[in-house]
Amino acid sequence: MSKPDKIKVLYIDDEVNNLIGFKATFRIDYNVITAASADEGLEMLEKHPDVKVILCDQRMPHKTGVQFFEEITTSYPAPVRMLLTGYTDIESVINAINKGHIFRYITKPWQETDIRSAIEEGYKYFVTTSMLNVKNEELQKAYDELDKFAYSVTHDMRGPILSSLGAIELAKSSEDLNEVKEVLDMMEKALTRMDAFIQSMHEYYNIKRGELQIQEIDFDGLVEELTELFTVGARLDQTRFDIRLQQEAPFRSDALTLKIILNNLLSNAFKYQKKDGDSKFVELEINVSATGAVIYVRDNGIGIDEAHVSDIFNMFYRATSENVGSGFGLYNVKDALRKLNGSIQVNSKPQQGSEFKVEIPSK
Amino acid sequence: MNADKMHFVVIDDSKLDCFIAEKVIQNTGRSESVRSFAVASEALDYIKTLPADKKTIVLVDIQMPVMNGFDFLAEFEKNFPQEQRSNFIVNLLSSSINETDQIRAKTFKFVNRFLNKPLTRNALENMLATV
Repeated sequence: MSKPDKIKVLYIDDEVNNLIGFKATFRIDYNVITAASADEGLEMLEKHPDVKVILCDQRMPHKTGVQFFEEITTSYPAPVRMLLTGYTDIESVINAINKGHIFRYITKPWQETDIRSAIEEGYKYFVTTSMLNVKNEELQKAYDELDKFAYSVTHDMRGPILSSLGAIELAKSSEDLNEVKEVLDMMEKALTRMDAFIQSMHEYYNIKRGELQIQEIDFDGLVEELTELFTVGARLDQTRFDIRLQQEAPFRSDALTLKIILNNLLSNAFKYQKKDGDSKFVELEINVSATGAVIYVRDNGIGIDEAHVSDIFNMFYRATSENVGSGFGLYNVKDALRKLNGSIQVNSKPQQGSEFKVEIPSK
Repeated sequence: MNADKMHFVVIDDSKLDCFIAEKVIQNTGRSESVRSFAVASEALDYIKTLPADKKTIVLVDIQMPVMNGFDFLAEFEKNFPQEQRSNFIVNLLSSSINETDQIRAKTFKFVNRFLNKPLTRNALENMLATV
């Protein structure tokens, strides 16, 4: 019986008897592969990218163990390396540690317990290092986002404040009441936009840091809520809002995250309508089967230029000057879908409209 | 002080900021014409049609969708060779307090000033006094 979680160990030695003996001793506990030369070892590494520990004999013809380890430092940096040698040659030990990034040095003939403890220790080191790498990558990503955040805060949050200050200055020196009212209207819009931006930031935080609360989703209730939320605005903008719901099986997911996704897609569909379009519509279609939910949000609005489609899910990306968005909405949608293991596809033609297709598996 | 009238072009995706700039400009009494644009590429097309008899003051925001302020400066540089540029006084008008934006602005030699939002009559008149 093969256990998939056995540690994969590569042993390289030019003495075939050693290879056979090693395999016989350790194959029960470890997933052992062997190679009779450095070149063969390289081939093995290519074939088995999941090797965690490499043990290599120092004295081999053509290439020594140290040379082999030195060679793979950049191409295979992850596996933990151990050098075996019968010669207590201090020079090669120093070389090995300095050049080959050796974790352990084991003298030949080896003792079973030495090898065993070396592999266990080495594996622990391997796991810690890889976890650290993953954490570092996450940290780097978080830093990059923080940079974007800091930049955007000056624009998206300071912007409306400065606009309002400018408007106040203007209104103070104006004698014309109508002009003052006009300025006030514009200030109202600027501050409303800023409030929407702050709410999106809150959503962003919820998706990033919030725990999922998986429960059965009441789609009828959700649809009712969305209808209530969007119908008034739809009527004012003379946009038809159609919802179709077909549910064949129960669906389990996180209600809040699902709501963030639908809210953002729908509010975009309404926001990016043509200003004086005829028979404007927004369509929400939800199909729930045993495997999951497939949701379409369609509109016949301004659409998205092909050149921008690949960027629309990026943070703070805005593809149009028409109707100012926060540059947060679709980023949040994508992040939310990632959390639910879902996916999204866009189909859009400029001046004809957009279709967003969302697939979410049931949890 | 030279009190000649000039053309003014404002480029900003915020309608309120365009409105403020237009009013502040009109209040100086120095404007032959004022036009504002939410889309930078449209402003570029318009600038090409302006008569060369008067100086043109351009105020451009940095953060805008599709073509941002720096994209605009690069396009402007491409479309107007140095000898034609002397008639245009291009200024950035931004809410940015980001140092990299200020440094990047300096890489465009023809940029006259980095003005901070909100645009005030004082700041604008100070700038106009030097051109």
